Amino acid sequence: MIQAAVYTLLFYLFGGATIALALVTVLNRRMLRAVMGLMGVLAMSACFYIMLSAEFLAGVQILVYVGGIVVLMVFAIMLTQTVDVLVEVPHWSRRALAGAAALALLLAVAGLGAGVPLEAPAGAGIPEDNTVAIGKALMDYGPRGYVLPFEIISLLLLAAAIGGIVVARKTAPEDQPLTSGGDLADEGLLQTAHTQRDEEAWVPES
Amino acid sequence: MTTFLAAQTPGLTHWIVLSGVLFAIGVYGLLTRRNAIGVLMSIELMLNSAALNFVVFNHFRAPAGVDGQIMAIFVIAVAAAEAVIAMAIFVAIYRRRGTLDVTSMDALKD
Amino acid sequence: MEHGFVIAHAWLIPALPLVSFALVGLFIRPLSARWAGIVATSSIGLAAALAYTLAWEYWTLFPAGQHAESLVPWSMEWLRYKEGLVVNIGVLVDPISIVLMVVVTTVSGLVHLYSIGYMHGETGYGRYFTYLNLFTFSMLGLVVAPNIVQMYVCWELVGVSSFLLIGFYYDRPSAVAASKKAFIVTRFADLGFMVGVLVLGYWGYGLFETVAPALATEPGALPLQPFDFRYLNSPEFLAAFGSIPAFFGLSLLSVAMLLVYTGAAGKSAMFPLHIWLPDAMEGPTPVSALIHAATMVVAGVYLTARLFPAFAASEDALLAVAYIGGFTSLFAAVIALTQDDIKRVLAFSTLSQLGYMMMALGVSQMAESLGYTASMFHLFTHAFFKALLFLGAGAVIHAVHTNDIWQMGGLARKMPITHLTFLVATLAISGIWPFAGFFSKDEILAAALHGHFTVLFYVALFVAGLTAFYMFRIYFVTFWGAHRAHGAEHAHEAPLVMTLPLMILGVLSAVAGFVPFGQYVHMGEHVEHGGIDFAVALPATLAALAGIGLSAFFYATASERAAKAARFFGRAYRVVKQKFYVDELYLFVTKQIIFHLIARPIAWFDRHVVDGGVNLSGWSIRTLGSESSRLQTGQVQTYGLWFAGGSVVLLFLIWAVHV
Repeated sequence: MIQAAVYTLLFYLFGGATIALALVTVLNRRMLRAVMGLMGVLAMSACFYIMLSAEFLAGVQILVYVGGIVVLMVFAIMLTQTVDVLVEVPHWSRRALAGAAALALLLAVAGLGAGVPLEAPAGAGIPEDNTVAIGKALMDYGPRGYVLPFEIISLLLLAAAIGGIVVARKTAPEDQPLTSGGDLADEGLLQTAHTQRDEEAWVPES
Repeated sequence: MTTFLAAQTPGLTHWIVLSGVLFAIGVYGLLTRRNAIGVLMSIELMLNSAALNFVVFNHFRAPAGVDGQIMAIFVIAVAAAEAVIAMAIFVAIYRRRGTLDVTSMDALKD
Repeated sequence: MEHGFVIAHAWLIPALPLVSFALVGLFIRPLSARWAGIVATSSIGLAAALAYTLAWEYWTLFPAGQHAESLVPWSMEWLRYKEGLVVNIGVLVDPISIVLMVVVTTVSGLVHLYSIGYMHGETGYGRYFTYLNLFTFSMLGLVVAPNIVQMYVCWELVGVSSFLLIGFYYDRPSAVAASKKAFIVTRFADLGFMVGVLVLGYWGYGLFETVAPALATEPGALPLQPFDFRYLNSPEFLAAFGSIPAFFGLSLLSVAMLLVYTGAAGKSAMFPLHIWLPDAMEGPTPVSALIHAATMVVAGVYLTARLFPAFAASEDALLAVAYIGGFTSLFAAVIALTQDDIKRVLAFSTLSQLGYMMMALGVSQMAESLGYTASMFHLFTHAFFKALLFLGAGAVIHAVHTNDIWQMGGLARKMPITHLTFLVATLAISGIWPFAGFFSKDEILAAALHGHFTVLFYVALFVAGLTAFYMFRIYFVTFWGAHRAHGAEHAHEAPLVMTLPLMILGVLSAVAGFVPFGQYVHMGEHVEHGGIDFAVALPATLAALAGIGLSAFFYATASERAAKAARFFGRAYRVVKQKFYVDELYLFVTKQIIFHLIARPIAWFDRHVVDGGVNLSGWSIRTLGSESSRLQTGQVQTYGLWFAGGSVVLLFLIWAVHV
């Protein structure tokens, strides 16, 4: 009884906090505060996972998201010297349009889902040890197992790690002409396709 | 009060609404953020809400299994990979252009 | 039936010029102009030899005076539209096709030979022989056609090659204009022919099931097809077809035959489609000889003769043939009286003689087919003396470098062979015994008289007198009297390669009339008597002699008599000299009426509505593209907005469908 009451209380508390932090993430003009908001959202999500009896996932969430991705973002923000900069806010019409689109999307999904019977089938028990179950499922090579996706994801992560190094690696001095840059972003993705006019447009205003 | 709260235990719908709102906020950020890292953060927000959705459905619809949780793990892994690459690209772009304003990134137009 | 070797291989006769055409045109011409002429000439010579052998074998098989069958010794399937509607190509061997093959190969061969001398040193010498070979092949293909489709194809080939040859001097604007005129006028007429072929083919196919079983198929030959002449000319088909009424009291058969006759009249230059022929003189003179004597213009006569049973089944069509032929012969003869260009006089005389041939066909019947024989006979003899006249005129023009007869004169001593052969040809065309023209003209006149076409008989008689007059006019002016111009004084006889054809043709013009033609070429079982009808021959000879006498009176010696006579007729003379203003009438109709009332509105429609529509579609697509390309901003967030909007619409649609 008291447990259920606390559960409800926590849901609304955390839920409200999460939405507020999410709004900070997308609205705050200082990037470092936005990333802190994001960190809050992710931490709250970890709490949700515990509430949803997914303790292992909560741990993963904290480790990977908060400990990895958010830190990465903080580094990126610092590296790109946007810590003290107030991010520009787009024109109000763009904001209105985006808000309308987000709201319409939400309402459309809600309208679509309203007719679907969502409540849980009664009587199904929750497995005792969630973490063990996940570990078994990930290593299971049977028809309902996840060993192949797991391996593919590991390869993806490896490729992403190598790719990140290659892309971000600084191979040419910065005062070199634009064409001689060695990294992928400069040459392969951005450099070859555009014209001189665009080159000028890319020059920073400072 | 306690009784009232205990009777109001959040069901599947509540959780879905929560994750939907988070997703919508992420969409709004995706469409309005001028800074590339901000855009990426919005995307993370959306991914997180999707992962939350998986876990919610796992909890309420198929509590016997852990498939939803495993999906969430995959989502987290993909988000991590994406963040790595995106950050690397942002750093490279910034080094070249000196800005991360997404409105100035329109080289694919021509 | 066991055929002789040449009959069985009659396809060689048209094939030889075709092979030579390809050979000369593709391989020999670039290497050696001299050899181009030699190869082209010898291929025609070989074809001529084959044609003579063919004639000999054929009339050994079917001796003179007996019924002669049409043979199709070689044919193959060409176009299969569907079962029962197949067009073959093949070789038809019957008396008139043999006559035409002999004439075409002979005249063409001699023209080739003559051209070796005449065209010597000209630019485009090899090209000229290539075209000549093509022309000869087209005509031979037309002559041997066993069905009307092959004939139509070769018919158009003749048109194309005549276009090429008339416009041979393509750097001269007048030659270009003349070639276009010839092509467009005959093409215009061919439209009628084509519609006629379609009408005949449509009903031929429609009636085929009911009619064809009555017709026996020759063993070994391909099955009878709706386009075959043997089917189209069969009494069974004509009886069935002739009973279908069309409009204005004409039967459908008459309509079809009149349409076909339009094509024939265009190629054979019957009034009022004659206007291209005098202008066709712009080609080299040997080409004129070929066009006028052996190819092209006789195609129309040949077509009419080939479909003669069909024409004979339609009284209206036959009457049109007769009267248009008669009128053209008179009309052209009158114009020929006043022309000063030697080739133009000959051109109008050709018109006049073709009118004779058409008229002869028109006045005969299936039962009383003297005119049919006479027409073919005149075609036969006319080919020789008209070719001779043109080649002689060519030799003269070659010598004095002008076409104007008043710039010539006194050439009889300078060019004795040309003079003598030209005289023979002139006598032949005038119809003086014993030259070839006398016999054939006599038969035509007899056919008109016996067919009870009294008016046409007297017209033809009068035309015979006119013919003698104008032919002797150019003869006297050209060869007699004093040299009137510098060129005539320095004229000299043509080389042997040119005079040899003249001499051969001279002999042929002199003796061709003694061929017992009626024994060989006749319609059905009916064999014509070959004798001379003195009731006809006497007035005809008298008319010719009167013409010669009058001509001698005016032109044999230098005098003012001709000019006085011209002044006496005054306005009438000028009208005739201007060829009755037919060309001007055409120009008025085409330029003023068609151009202003039809072409201009169509051009306006084309420019504004059709082009406008095309431009509108292009403009709208281009505008759509450029406008929609603005959507590609390169701004990922704008794309995201569109994407989100699209997702909303899509979700709404799903919702609308499911709920």
